[in-house]
Amino acid sequence: MLLKLAWRNIWRNKKRSLITILSVLIAVFLALLMRSMQLGMYKHMIDNVVGSYTGYIQIHGKGYWDERSIDNAISNDKDFTAKIKNTKGVSAILPRLENFGLLSVGELTKAVSINGIVVEEEQKIQDLQGKLIAGSLFKNSGDMVIGKGIASYFKVGVNDTIVFMGQGYHGMLASGKFKVAGIVDLKNPTLNKLTVLMSLQAAQDLFSATGMVTSLVIDKNDNARLHKVQKEIQKKLDTSTYEVLNWEQMMPELQQTILADNVGGMLMIAILYMILIFGIFGTVLMMTQERQYEFGVLVAIGMKKKQLQLLVFIETIILSLTGVGLGVILAYPIMLWKHYYPFQFPGDQAKMMENYGFSAIDPFYIQADLPLAHALLIFSIALVVSLYPIYIIKKIKPIAAMRS
Amino acid sequence: MMKVIQTQELYKIYNQGQENEVRAVNKVSLEISKGEFTAIVGPSGSGKTTLLNIIGGLDAPTSGKVIIDQTPIEELKENDLINFRLHSIGFVFQSYNLIPVLNARENVGFIMLLQGMAEDEINKRVTDLLKSVGLENQMEKRPTQMSGGQQQRVAVARALASKPKFILADEPTANLDSKSTGDLLDIMEHLNKTEGTTFVFSTHDQRVIDRAHRIITLEDGKIIDDVKVN
Repeated sequence: MLLKLAWRNIWRNKKRSLITILSVLIAVFLALLMRSMQLGMYKHMIDNVVGSYTGYIQIHGKGYWDERSIDNAISNDKDFTAKIKNTKGVSAILPRLENFGLLSVGELTKAVSINGIVVEEEQKIQDLQGKLIAGSLFKNSGDMVIGKGIASYFKVGVNDTIVFMGQGYHGMLASGKFKVAGIVDLKNPTLNKLTVLMSLQAAQDLFSATGMVTSLVIDKNDNARLHKVQKEIQKKLDTSTYEVLNWEQMMPELQQTILADNVGGMLMIAILYMILIFGIFGTVLMMTQERQYEFGVLVAIGMKKKQLQLLVFIETIILSLTGVGLGVILAYPIMLWKHYYPFQFPGDQAKMMENYGFSAIDPFYIQADLPLAHALLIFSIALVVSLYPIYIIKKIKPIAAMRS
Repeated sequence: MMKVIQTQELYKIYNQGQENEVRAVNKVSLEISKGEFTAIVGPSGSGKTTLLNIIGGLDAPTSGKVIIDQTPIEELKENDLINFRLHSIGFVFQSYNLIPVLNARENVGFIMLLQGMAEDEINKRVTDLLKSVGLENQMEKRPTQMSGGQQQRVAVARALASKPKFILADEPTANLDSKSTGDLLDIMEHLNKTEGTTFVFSTHDQRVIDRAHRIITLEDGKIIDDVKVN
């Protein structure tokens, strides 16, 4: 009965109710599109930078991330990885052995980062094959793949020979002669100048680190929550020996960039919703003032104040959530469209983004948590706004109200 | 006869102790028994409505007691008083005060819903009540689609819906034409005779006074006359 009464009360003043619903609709519509575009961009950045190389989570020996020394490598036995692979939300584990040293060709020498990887596993998160601009990925233990910046520095091509010299595990001498099997464009100028890839086995042999890795890169399922997966892994490991870091901890600068940009977006949403709060409050204020007499009559004939408060609350919620529902219904198809057919950044902007390792598109964010969060926000606004009539009804005296 | 309403030395004083002090109800003690058809009469400002509001628990007296069916209502807490009104008192207001978004059937049923009655029982009783006020063909109409007289008859049916101990009607005919007034009084008199429903009116409408069985006259908040009419 209260629902029926609330619904009919809303339509007593059709114009006002429609304007209120429309204002909620427009606010939600704009907020959703704005946030979907923004969050989509962040997700795209994270997927590009994090998902394609760093990984969402990494396991290292304790202290490795602060002091990236091969001496902090950990053993990579099957039981250990199986235990982590069983964690809910983990989709792949990529073992890597990373170390630094010098490459030399003729008179030229350059400090580089050697990365021992398992190509088949890496392929799950980064399309190395697609990044090859010459040659092929390594087939033999004497093969290495170099970034295009290194190739350009040494002026070497496929099948040329490069000498490596460095320090291996626990001070062992690490040196060897390698054939350039392929050249990759990692879509990041810094990485292109530093990165050398070889098979994990070759790297372990080179650095005298049999069965050792410096990182186990964890890829997670799309819908798995980062911090939850991280915690689950931490529970399984001895944290005095291992460290489990997420991308936010490993790449705080990326997180800071996103956070800083996000503040602007949030501010816009806050302004939009502030205007909305006044809109809804205006309607509720008028509804309350106009109906004081009626409230007095209802209390006089025996309607409990709590029932009356609930009635007015339901009216506010229906008004707000109808606007939210319609806003979502209108915005979501556009979000889906722009997710599957994303905006393409134009000319120079696209080039700049590609140089930094991002594909120059902005696929909109379409996870259900976005409309849900906005629905909850509007619900909270309605909740706060309805405090006013709830207070007025609490204080109402039937006779005084019926005289008003 | 069982006493339904008792007031003991009831006062309602506005601006007490000030120069412009007004005694709207001045030491009113009265008893109304079950089945009475009573009119409280007097000129405007004599305190009729204030007295009715106090008896109905809508307003608090400055001092004195109101005892409804042995319950001193001033001792009830706010929620208990609302509940008491819901179950014990039927109200008919001068301007009908029906819920505008509900039709006649829903308006009458609303009180029973508040009482927590079962839907089947409500439907049956609503039909019976609207028949008893001659509105069986107007049940689906909303207040705005009915005449003043019809609205007031719905209001009477609504007042009866909760099976109250008595009905308080504040100037129920003030906005009605002669025909509607006559019809309404016929209905209320009939209910009084057949069902034993207790009615207390405040009025200065001679047509109502002529039909009352007891007439209490107020002047400046005081009872100056209380007569029973055969």
